[in-house]
Amino acid sequence: MPTKRALSYVAEHALLLALAFVFLVPVVFVVLTSFMGGNQTLTGALWPNPFEWSNYTKAFDTAPLGRWFANSLLYAGTSTLLMLVSSVPVAYVLAKVRFRFSGVAFFVVIVAMLLPPQVTQVPLYAVWAHFRVVGTFWPLILPHLFGSAFSIFLLRQFFLSIPKEYIDAARMDGNGEWGILLRIMVPMAKPGIAAASIFMFFQCWNDYYGPLLYTSENPDNWPIAYGLASFHGSHSTDWGVIMAVTTLATLPVVVVFFFAQRTFVQGITLTGVKG
Amino acid sequence: MTSANPIPPPRPLRRAGALLIALAAGATLALSGCAVAEDGPVAAAAPTHLSGTVQLWHHYNGREAKVIASIVDDFEQRHPDVRVRVHAGQQDTKITQVVSSGGDVDVMLTNVNATLGTACKTMSDLAPYMRRDGVPDDAFQGIFAQATAFEGRRCSLPTTSDVYGLYYNTRLLAEAGYTTPPRTLRELEDMALKLTTYKSDGSIGTLGFNPLIGFQQNTSATLGGTAGVTWTKDGDSAVADSPQWAELIAWQHDFVRKIGYDKLKTFTAGLGDEWSANNPFQNGRVAMTLDGEWRVAFIEEQAPRLEYGTAPFPVLAGSGQEYGGGFVSAADIGVAKRSGNKEAAWALVKYMTTDTDAAVKLANGLKNIPTLKSAVASPALQASPQYRTFIEASAHPAGNTSPVTEIGSTLTATMDDFWTDYQRGSGGNLKRRLEKVDTDIDNALGLRRAK
Amino acid sequence: MPDANPIATVPRARAAAHHTPNTPEAHPKRAGRRRTLRSRLSIGSMVILPLIGLVAFFLYPLCANLYYSFTNYDLVGSPKWIGLRNYDYLFTQDPRVGGAARNTLWFVVILVPVRMASSLGIALLLTRRKRAAGFWRTLFYLPALVPPVASVVGFVFLFNPGTGPINTLLRKFGIDGPLWFNDPSLSKPSLLLLGVWMMGDVMVIFLAALLDVPKDQYEAAELDGASARQKFRFITLPNISPVLLFSAVTGVIAALQYFTEAAVASSVANGKTGIDAGPDRLLGYPNDSLLTYTQWMYVQGFNSFQLGYAAAMAVVLFVVAAAVIAVLLRRAGMFQQKGA
Repeated sequence: MPTKRALSYVAEHALLLALAFVFLVPVVFVVLTSFMGGNQTLTGALWPNPFEWSNYTKAFDTAPLGRWFANSLLYAGTSTLLMLVSSVPVAYVLAKVRFRFSGVAFFVVIVAMLLPPQVTQVPLYAVWAHFRVVGTFWPLILPHLFGSAFSIFLLRQFFLSIPKEYIDAARMDGNGEWGILLRIMVPMAKPGIAAASIFMFFQCWNDYYGPLLYTSENPDNWPIAYGLASFHGSHSTDWGVIMAVTTLATLPVVVVFFFAQRTFVQGITLTGVKG
Repeated sequence: MTSANPIPPPRPLRRAGALLIALAAGATLALSGCAVAEDGPVAAAAPTHLSGTVQLWHHYNGREAKVIASIVDDFEQRHPDVRVRVHAGQQDTKITQVVSSGGDVDVMLTNVNATLGTACKTMSDLAPYMRRDGVPDDAFQGIFAQATAFEGRRCSLPTTSDVYGLYYNTRLLAEAGYTTPPRTLRELEDMALKLTTYKSDGSIGTLGFNPLIGFQQNTSATLGGTAGVTWTKDGDSAVADSPQWAELIAWQHDFVRKIGYDKLKTFTAGLGDEWSANNPFQNGRVAMTLDGEWRVAFIEEQAPRLEYGTAPFPVLAGSGQEYGGGFVSAADIGVAKRSGNKEAAWALVKYMTTDTDAAVKLANGLKNIPTLKSAVASPALQASPQYRTFIEASAHPAGNTSPVTEIGSTLTATMDDFWTDYQRGSGGNLKRRLEKVDTDIDNALGLRRAK
Repeated sequence: MPDANPIATVPRARAAAHHTPNTPEAHPKRAGRRRTLRSRLSIGSMVILPLIGLVAFFLYPLCANLYYSFTNYDLVGSPKWIGLRNYDYLFTQDPRVGGAARNTLWFVVILVPVRMASSLGIALLLTRRKRAAGFWRTLFYLPALVPPVASVVGFVFLFNPGTGPINTLLRKFGIDGPLWFNDPSLSKPSLLLLGVWMMGDVMVIFLAALLDVPKDQYEAAELDGASARQKFRFITLPNISPVLLFSAVTGVIAALQYFTEAAVASSVANGKTGIDAGPDRLLGYPNDSLLTYTQWMYVQGFNSFQLGYAAAMAVVLFVVAAAVIAVLLRRAGMFQQKGA
């Protein structure tokens, strides 16, 4: 029945458009509010009148936004690099090298990945306190040098999908394990490595709990996620400025997403659909 | 695990597990051997020359942080080889966390009631320094002369005290026909209801007084201080045995109902921040409010044209609480046990608490109340009439505070939690619920004291 | 530091769900030859860092945590052995832990299923889109990218009862908007709205799984005259059930550690900052309705510095999380080829 089909087509589109509208409303209001003057935001107005660009300059004047962004970049960037150094090789071993405890090893990776980090929080904090590094980025960054369970898991899944023949061929050519990893596996798993990096980067960029626990005592070491949460404290009703900072905190992530969207989607598709 | 389990416990894992537990136990013991050392001996004579860096952590922000910075500058001028690094705007819990976890803290300035009980063990005993340098115990006035010691250790000295009272908008009161502030909670309520105006949609336009616990400085501690309540007896919680608590809470519950809980909540959520220029008392949306003496300084800076008066907070009639005093709290300052530069740290503490000029400057800047007797008497203390109210209240014998215990702010927070929950509900069962508060506080104390 | 970050669950769920049924390449036929010393050394060098990490950042703290849970420990003195006192306090005395556990449970049993249902619903709508599929996918995925702190700050502002745009809009329609984040009975549902808004991470996983269902199965069912409902019940659901299970488990694990959104919502909605309003005073606002288990653990451990008690809370969290993980591993049979 063509009419019924057309009807359901229209209904589905209408539903989709309505949903899209609902999903966009928060973004629109946040951005609009970021252009309102301080008094206007308290009146419940919906449209900025007049447009106040000054909230954005004010945001940079009242908060060390540059510093916060730099800290986030330091935290997320360094963590990602360290994660790659530690997790790519072991993921290769787990995927392609047969050894006695490989089953146990993978089991441990899964459990470590799934357990909430809070279950190890108290002793780890005590250790960092013992070495007197609470207040610095070390407790947040250094663990990644020793592997991230989730990244290992993700990378292993990628390596699994690379046919064994490539490895055999490389071994014939006289490559050792490192040679196989660096010359064959890494180039072939680029999308996977990119995806693992992006996820690690975003996770650190968005992290609130870690900085709250370890660097909140030192405002010089606040990343943007923590800074934003604290910023409302000193300016709790200057909603225009707060929304400007909120918009600014979101912008880099969205920009990265749009530039890396292909890698992102390709990475997800590769991990997921093939299998 | 059953045989149906797809993951049988791998044998090597068990052996490795046993090894790891042994390893963990060893490492834990080695790590926890790092407990904070006891106080070392104090040099027989104060050093003639001080040098090095002193890390000062305090809880003041913005304008108030600048006042501290200027006192620190004065100190550095007296001791040119000492550098003081100031960590401003740190919450008390954060400072305790930092000092407990071995952070760089030499001197810490926190709140007595909320923090001293938990922080005292991380601080040096100042008594030997005081004896050596001739600082007498009775140099300080009011109830905080002794309150900054805990369990027999003098871990800190008071810098300034906070005295709570009533702020009232003289213009709004005059428009409603009032010339004097209320002296009892009943009067406060009557006036507040008359001062409250409503918009056409029924929501609150101007509020006479906000009775909600959790609004700005409305806490069980500050309100309890106006009703002669008892917190503890022989180290245990005793709120259910204090009829004043029951009467105070019943009064507040009734007051909230007369305006409407939801209306008050909506109104409160739409108000400006307490510490910003949008403070609802400063912009006239609330006619009377319970606040600390520092509000005088905020008004001076943020709302200089506000016509207002201050008075001791009204009391619960018949509670035994005398009008004129009120709830008092204090900031205190001490030396961290782990400090590597204790003499310079002590010198800073001594300067900020016992130097008359410094104490006066601190009080003038923060508009807090000096705790040093010589500073209160100093002609250099700038006291506007509104501020004078609080100086008088601080010396009033009816001044009171909440007890310092090992559980720190949990004592009053337990009461606050109960009260915020109670004010929302339909009331009743007060005695039983206060007994529950007693049990909760006693249990928390018990866990902390467990050996 | 891994966080409750929902984005992190994207590849987790996808990768595992699709790979679990078959992991053939991990176990090539028995290599006939012995490895040379050199090869052993290179493999050793590849795993040494994670091996250290495993001991230092996972196994050691797990065991040490168990030990601390039997002590009175404040980091200032040495841990004092107090036996089961912490557990006694946890299960019979702590006035706030019960409410905190119930709040966490609320997020587990309400937030997780609602997020999954709405993700599946939108994913189903999107599978029919041929044109501009990428656009729609991006649109619904984008909110998941917004840093959680930023989205919470934004939502609390939007839902401010007095001055927020949502209640302003409602007022235009003559509706008296509720208190949202300031009402103890609505604060969790308000966060649920936020959770649904941010459902993109789950949605993309479902979308990929749905697109992966073999077309010929639908075609065969259509020939048999199956209704849309029957097709969903007998073809779609069985095909995507591994994905649903994995996403449910990761969702539950994430909900068990729900912290950031609730903590930030409490402190922003409270609007109260000040000299001695420490985080323990702000968390849970209003009326402890947003106090979750992990927040209370944080307060006990790192505000009150009762680390022994926090360790006991962590042990309980460990037991619950381990049970959830065991369910996943059993059901998915992830390791069947390996273990037995």
